[in-house]
Amino acid sequence: MRFKPAIIKEYIHEIVREHLSGVQYDPESVPELTRSLAECIKDKVKDEGFDRYKLIVQVLIGEQRGQGVKMSSRCLWDADTDNYAEDVFMNDSLFCVVTVFGSYYY
Amino acid sequence: MDDYLTEDKTVFVVEEVNKIIKCAVETVIGENSYKHSRVNQWTTSVVEQCLIQLSKLGKPFKYIANCIIMQKNGAGLQTASTCFWDNTTDESCTVRWENKSMYVIVSIFGLAI
Repeated sequence: MRFKPAIIKEYIHEIVREHLSGVQYDPESVPELTRSLAECIKDKVKDEGFDRYKLIVQVLIGEQRGQGVKMSSRCLWDADTDNYAEDVFMNDSLFCVVTVFGSYYY
Repeated sequence: MDDYLTEDKTVFVVEEVNKIIKCAVETVIGENSYKHSRVNQWTTSVVEQCLIQLSKLGKPFKYIANCIIMQKNGAGLQTASTCFWDNTTDESCTVRWENKSMYVIVSIFGLAI
């Protein structure tokens, strides 16, 4: 089953929306939130049948205070089989970037 | 002792990758102040430098390099990652670096082929 970025992006979008809509940035609870979001997304992708893929799910949550942020990634892998999907969520109080990298294991 | 040494050619050595990351960040960013117009170039340069050095190691790994640069203004930032991989061969290395005007977080994930 091919790692289709469009489908994975949908999963990410749904899960993040569910977990973060209406949530305020709170330094006490954010560490647990990022971790559980990452686990949740990883489990969802696995359940949907991408079991020949090694997965790396990265979740970034930041407070909205007008600061500048930039995130870049580069990969050294097999472009025929490996791919990634990402999604960004924002509300008044926080922003959230999720990236899922999928690498086929031969 | 001998076994540990011969394994080096096919093992993700966290210390080594740590050095590569620190070197790349210091070379590319150093004491520069956060400038919105340059951030794009900095993040891409950092990850590209890291990948170049990693590929020079010649180990049988696929690598994913990630760099986040954030301006210092008192805002909070949290990042977490979870991986589904082979625990015996795959590893990751994350370095948190900062200077007077920005925070830089670089993560490298190594997946054995």
